[in-house]
Amino acid sequence: MMNIMMDMVIRHDGKNWVVENDKLTLSAPTIDGIDEKVRTFMRQNELVKKGDKSKVRMLFDNSTIPQWIRQYGQHYFNRVIEVEG
Amino acid sequence: MAEEEKKEMSGTGTLTGAALEAEDVLADAEPWEPIETKLVVWSLVVAVIALLIGLVVVPTSILH
Amino acid sequence: MADLTNRRWYTGMLTQEDWWAVWLGVGFFFLGLLNLAGIDIVGFLTYPTKWVFNVPEGGKGAIGHAFYAIGKKTSMVSKEFYKGMGWWSIIWTYVAFTIATCTGAAFMRWNLKRFFIGWTIIYFMTIATWFIGHHGFIAANKINMHKYGLNFALSLGGGGSFILALIVGLIIGNFFKPFAIYLSEAAKPEWYIKTAIVTLGVKLGYLPIKLAGFSHKLGKEAAGLTFDLFIAGAAATIVAYMIFWPITYLIARKMFNLPRKTAAVLGSGISICGVSAAVATGGAVRAKPVVSIMVSALVVVWAVIELVVLPGFFTHVWPKTADPIVAGAAMGMSVKTDGADAAAGELLDEFMRNKIAVESNGTVIWPEGIITASAVMTKVWIDMFIGIWAFVLAMVWVYRIDRRPGETVLASEIWHRFPKFVLGYFFCWFFLLAIYFGPGQGGSADAMPYLKTVKAGAVPIEGPMRKLFFMLTFMSLGIITDFKKLKEAQFGKMVWVYFVALFIFIIPIAMIVAYLFHHGMQIPNIAGYVQ
Repeated sequence: MMNIMMDMVIRHDGKNWVVENDKLTLSAPTIDGIDEKVRTFMRQNELVKKGDKSKVRMLFDNSTIPQWIRQYGQHYFNRVIEVEG
Repeated sequence: MAEEEKKEMSGTGTLTGAALEAEDVLADAEPWEPIETKLVVWSLVVAVIALLIGLVVVPTSILH
Repeated sequence: MADLTNRRWYTGMLTQEDWWAVWLGVGFFFLGLLNLAGIDIVGFLTYPTKWVFNVPEGGKGAIGHAFYAIGKKTSMVSKEFYKGMGWWSIIWTYVAFTIATCTGAAFMRWNLKRFFIGWTIIYFMTIATWFIGHHGFIAANKINMHKYGLNFALSLGGGGSFILALIVGLIIGNFFKPFAIYLSEAAKPEWYIKTAIVTLGVKLGYLPIKLAGFSHKLGKEAAGLTFDLFIAGAAATIVAYMIFWPITYLIARKMFNLPRKTAAVLGSGISICGVSAAVATGGAVRAKPVVSIMVSALVVVWAVIELVVLPGFFTHVWPKTADPIVAGAAMGMSVKTDGADAAAGELLDEFMRNKIAVESNGTVIWPEGIITASAVMTKVWIDMFIGIWAFVLAMVWVYRIDRRPGETVLASEIWHRFPKFVLGYFFCWFFLLAIYFGPGQGGSADAMPYLKTVKAGAVPIEGPMRKLFFMLTFMSLGIITDFKKLKEAQFGKMVWVYFVALFIFIIPIAMIVAYLFHHGMQIPNIAGYVQ
């Protein structure tokens, strides 16, 4: 069973990837940049302790995709990254 | 193209029509890497294997 | 507000078109099966027939009978009631499907008012083109034109209506842009075609029952044929896909020097199931959504070009009526998007059946729908396969190309990308097959009264409902297709990648692979049993 520490929503605004939840909003032009910011945030806020591992799930916000395309394909991606403390 | 029309073209998605032009998805091709060769070759190998098995197994194939 | 439709495995069940195609198709299928309890509430579904302005003496085609409630012919319990319905069946059908589609639209949180108005306009335009397309001059052939007092007819069968619906849609989509945009809330070719494909499952399951009504042997032949299509379609699809994708990727990367992710998305979009593949692959390789959006815009336009060109090509150039199932299977592997493919398959079905009837002077008549089924079968397999292929690509990109540390590719992605309408298609098919082999005793004479009751419930769904949703698909496809997009500079060389890959490589390979697995498959001849 996957142990998810934090759930976030991921979307793209045309220039940047944006991940957000109730507590924070982060954006970066690449997914690598997003992952780095998420990791930094979690470490700085001690959401993951040194030596521990935690998982962050990013659920794609389908409203990013124009509605006329959603009838063809209704899933872009969901992803999980591991964050080490 | 009028701004309104751009928005309509993108439907109700949050990604606006303007984003379509903002991105140049055709430029900056990366150099070919060995993993791409592997991906292409292995796909074709799978196709050949599937073809051979299929021709033998499928009752309506030209081998039957 | 964020749309997290795929948060859990079941969360899209009330919010996705895919699932709503299942609910609509399976829902009406079960309403039809109420016939087994002696209740016929699907006989009102409207159906057109050929008509002419001046009916010759002793001939057919009175305009007053151009539309009728199908129950007039099929109902076991309410035949007289449905006989009196005539043109009013159009209104009853409108009411029933308006309630059904608006319910879906409401759950999917569309703009209900705009959907309702758009749907109403599209429905009645569709009915109008269905009517015009059934004029004897368009729909009759040289075998039956004399019954309508005609000396010449175009021999297009029901295909004429489809072509007209597409033309009307394209005129709106290309010359009345604001109107097309207004209608777009209800112009949903994929939703309509997925619903039609679910009802095509009813058609496949009903086929052995129908032919068993002619002869026990024909019923068995039909059951065997549908099973053969299932197996051959699976093999052909895997082979074709695994050739198409890498070569198209190679063309995009080496010949046109496109970036990796764009080439991957384009590879899937061009080579197999169009928009759905472009979206699935875009997500899998973590491309910016704009890549999938651009490829999708391109795909829908090219798909309509294929829809216009290929049915005529396969009917009159190769393989003609010698190998109709090869043509159908090749169609499924060549034409992108379910809507354009199924529509092209249906056109091919009409063209081929009319051609063989004319060529043989009426001594060979093929049951309708088998060629369509062959075109849809390969496409259904492709739709399922893309989920697995996208999963493979996700692993290649995440673990090998982007080498993103700490990211896991989730197996649940396969389910989220699985085309749910396929479940409805297989369910209806296998349900009727179970009836045929179970209580229907494989079409034995003893079971025929029972099977006739099943028929009364199945025919309105596999006939009028399916055809109507096909018509709606043609109309909606036209409305959302804007050929000007091909000229837009932003697509640049993608247009040429598409052209080169499709016509020089994909269509010929599809024809070869279809031939290898489907050559010689015969459609049962029912000329001895029908008028």
